[in-house]
Amino acid sequence: MQSNEVQDLAQIKKTLKELLVADLSLEDIKPEEIRDDEVLFGEGLGLDSLDAVEIVVILQRKFGLEVRDLENRKDVFYSIDSLAKYIYENRKKVS
Amino acid sequence: MDIRKRGNKLGFWFFRTSLKWTGLSGAYGLLYFVCLYYLIFDRTAVSASMAYIKRRFRGLSSISKYHAVYKLFISQGKSLIDRYYVVSGLGRFDIELRGYDRIKSLLRDSKKGIILLTAHVGNWQVTMTTLEKLGRTVYLLMSPEENAAVKDSLNIDSGNEKVKIISPDNFLGGVIEIMKAIDEGSIVSIMGDRSYGHSTSEAVLLGDRAYFPHSAFSIAASAQCPVVVLHSAKVSTKKYFVDVSHVMEPRFSSRAKKKEELAGFVQEYAGVLEVYSAEYPYQWFLFHDIWSEENKAAN
Repeated sequence: MQSNEVQDLAQIKKTLKELLVADLSLEDIKPEEIRDDEVLFGEGLGLDSLDAVEIVVILQRKFGLEVRDLENRKDVFYSIDSLAKYIYENRKKVS
Repeated sequence: MDIRKRGNKLGFWFFRTSLKWTGLSGAYGLLYFVCLYYLIFDRTAVSASMAYIKRRFRGLSSISKYHAVYKLFISQGKSLIDRYYVVSGLGRFDIELRGYDRIKSLLRDSKKGIILLTAHVGNWQVTMTTLEKLGRTVYLLMSPEENAAVKDSLNIDSGNEKVKIISPDNFLGGVIEIMKAIDEGSIVSIMGDRSYGHSTSEAVLLGDRAYFPHSAFSIAASAQCPVVVLHSAKVSTKKYFVDVSHVMEPRFSSRAKKKEELAGFVQEYAGVLEVYSAEYPYQWFLFHDIWSEENKAAN
């Protein structure tokens, strides 16, 4: 893995954690407390299907991803690691 | 209660034959005997109906409440017969569509789709077919237990590509598919009067605190699309109305107020259903105790 990729992924993860805490109104949790490999739904962070809606919106608006590409991609929503990897590989040039 | 689930092949044969030879009136006539049987022997069905009946008809004697349950059973039986009548091609109903221009303009003015909030009222399976003229794909968020009946009534297995089903058993309750459908400009139909284990908000309905699913409002707020309330009612032997004139635009003013505002949207919807039940008390087929705290467990 090249250093640019490592830096980009790290930045995406940081942004993602901040957005999750803010947009999902996660109480009593700080972005830096979310582990990269923590399971997001069910056990782990304990998110539910309505939180998934917010995550989809984040992926659309903040990273320019298309929701149609996310259908049947259960693997993408597993953890911060998997989300960041998907964003890194698929994001478009949006502000 | 669902006669389809409770009936047997011989029973269906009697109804089908009666419908073919004597028309709707003859088939309806059979219901009075069949529903009396269920009223006496099917304690589960009676008990499931009583939560609604005892609140809708407060002050009635026990005997009168049982009579109301009987009328509710007959009304649902008619709804099922009507569904078969249309699907089998034996005839059609006149359908008065209220609010069509509004829903048409909503779809025309936005690239996004809409959420259609339905309930177990009237005969939404039959009336849903009237929305085909909107030319948009309709996705039904349906639990597996309802799939079979709906597939039959809407001819989904017969190549009806305009009506598709999203299962709430899919990953994350099907929300990815729902968001995709809305993004593509389609219509997503969600049942608003039963949570099927999903998260709920409290609202006062018929004088008591009830629990309604709030996913339709939450998704609409995130997807920035409207929620169109759909209800229908049978107004004469051969006529239904479909009303899609009540439109809601759920949005959250702030994250902190999300829960409170969600409860407000749910209360507005409960109000619509309460007005409906005042006018058509025997056409809300609420065979589930939405007032029970068991529904709260999903919060």
